[in-house]
Amino acid sequence: MRNNPLLNRYDIHTAILSNEKVAEDHYLLRCECAEIAHHARPGQFVHVLISYGAGLLLRRPFTIYTVENSQITMLYQIIGEGTQRLSEMSKGATLQVLGPLGNTFDIAKAPPELAILVGGGAGIASLMLLAAVLRARGIQTLGLVGAQHRARLLSVTDLKSIGIDVHIATDDGSIGHHGYITDVLAALLGKTERHRPTIYACGPHGMLAAVTKIAADFEVPAQVAMENRMGCAMGVCLGCVCPVRIDATHVEYQRVCTEGPVFNATDIVWDI
Amino acid sequence: MLSWLIPYMDTTDLSLNVNIGGIQMRNPVMTASGTFGYGSEYVDFVDLNRLGAVVVKGVTSTPWPGNPMQRIMETPSGMLNAIGLQNVGVDGFITQKLPYLRDFDVPVIVNVCGKTVEEYVTVSEKLNGADGVAGIELNISCPNLDCGGMSFGVDAELASHLVTAVRAKTHLPLLVKLSPNVTDITVIARAVEDAGADALSAINTLIGMAIDAETRTPELANVTGGLSGPAIKPVALRLVWEVYKSVSIPIVGMGGIMNATDAVEFFIAGASAVAVGTANFVNPQASMEVLKGIPAYLKQANMKSIKELVGSLQVGS
Repeated sequence: MRNNPLLNRYDIHTAILSNEKVAEDHYLLRCECAEIAHHARPGQFVHVLISYGAGLLLRRPFTIYTVENSQITMLYQIIGEGTQRLSEMSKGATLQVLGPLGNTFDIAKAPPELAILVGGGAGIASLMLLAAVLRARGIQTLGLVGAQHRARLLSVTDLKSIGIDVHIATDDGSIGHHGYITDVLAALLGKTERHRPTIYACGPHGMLAAVTKIAADFEVPAQVAMENRMGCAMGVCLGCVCPVRIDATHVEYQRVCTEGPVFNATDIVWDI
Repeated sequence: MLSWLIPYMDTTDLSLNVNIGGIQMRNPVMTASGTFGYGSEYVDFVDLNRLGAVVVKGVTSTPWPGNPMQRIMETPSGMLNAIGLQNVGVDGFITQKLPYLRDFDVPVIVNVCGKTVEEYVTVSEKLNGADGVAGIELNISCPNLDCGGMSFGVDAELASHLVTAVRAKTHLPLLVKLSPNVTDITVIARAVEDAGADALSAINTLIGMAIDAETRTPELANVTGGLSGPAIKPVALRLVWEVYKSVSIPIVGMGGIMNATDAVEFFIAGASAVAVGTANFVNPQASMEVLKGIPAYLKQANMKSIKELVGSLQVGS
């Protein structure tokens, strides 16, 4: 994890270029954000002001899904009133986008021979920019994508289009492995002894805890992108913390928006 | 609302400077404690030298870990928080955070909290000797602590005792941040004024809660939290007005200020300065936008000084 890679942050007034449904309850939004696009690194996010008034107050954090020239995209799930309202906005509607924020996945210090991306639900969105960078560096990359069922499956085409082999698991078995994506991860690690893999994961809390345990069992390093409710996303409100192990006896609450969103999996205290 | 007027208006002869309990400020726009970190976090978006004062996150005698998650929840036109005053402690503040702020030409007011009178006194004494601290804001109104914090702010005798104890150990200007969670705020306001407070901050958050009906669990780990944002502005205005009528020391008004018009309303109710809080989370430049709109209002109202606006509420007879 690299903290505050550049600290080039911008608050950009922009308009929606497209906002399309890509799966059940999931949308892909595209907008022009030149400075953010220029500085964005894998794992980073933006904090979006959807609309003033009508009872909604705070911005909503979204990971940066892809960067294409001066545009960024966000792949998001409808989870509440804010994202519901966002999904109903059309081309031309205005947004205020603050970013890029947070730290990044670290692939510089120890480039993996094999990168395994594990995404659960909308969590895969946090791994797409990373996938593109890994592929650009010629690093062999596997994509493990989990979903509740086929209609909610995300990003498989996008991952395949940049040359990534994709493994799928669904809770109901409607496509891919019938069960958890972490089952697929454990089976895969049992067969990859010749490589020195690193795991990069984002998804529900339980999935990330399971990924951490599997990674530890196989003695494989893992980085996780955490998610949380956010207030400011600038490091001041201390609303988005998660418990992080500092040493054998100390745990402290660190900010997902500032020290994160990317953490070493083994540093997170999962059972609090 | 008023900002369109600015380019066409000469506002150079307007006086915005205020003196809050002995702290001279170039203008009456401050930041509210806990919403602006230690100043450094917002420098990409706010020129600290243009603020009236920076009020930093509450500090305590030792570092506090804060409450478990979840700590925040959005509510209609507001938010609940139960952070639990996670902070680096007064020594950490003086060595790690304060040096950065010394490079700026802006008064730094330190919000102070504790569980006992002794803790408040310890912190205030240490700040008294620290270079670069312009004043202390005694936080007797944090709703998210098991003991201390707000318990001092809801009892006139305790509040008076605390202010007297701190007053004896510091020469720094003393602001006292009042709790709205009381039957009669004027009783507390007068008690702390009599005990030696130089100014009052009104108000801290209102205690509230949010429930997830599906799981029948509280949305916050602390169960209850402090409500802030536009939802509380009418309550804050009413309390500032009540306090204004009952004390003679200056009031820093706060509670849901999102723009210059909101700020103007607080001046009219009796605030001598205002603090921008939750709006910083929504718009990092909120404090600067509030500041920009005030001269335009004064000009339009034919006023030469912000002081003319303070307490200018016209109540029909």
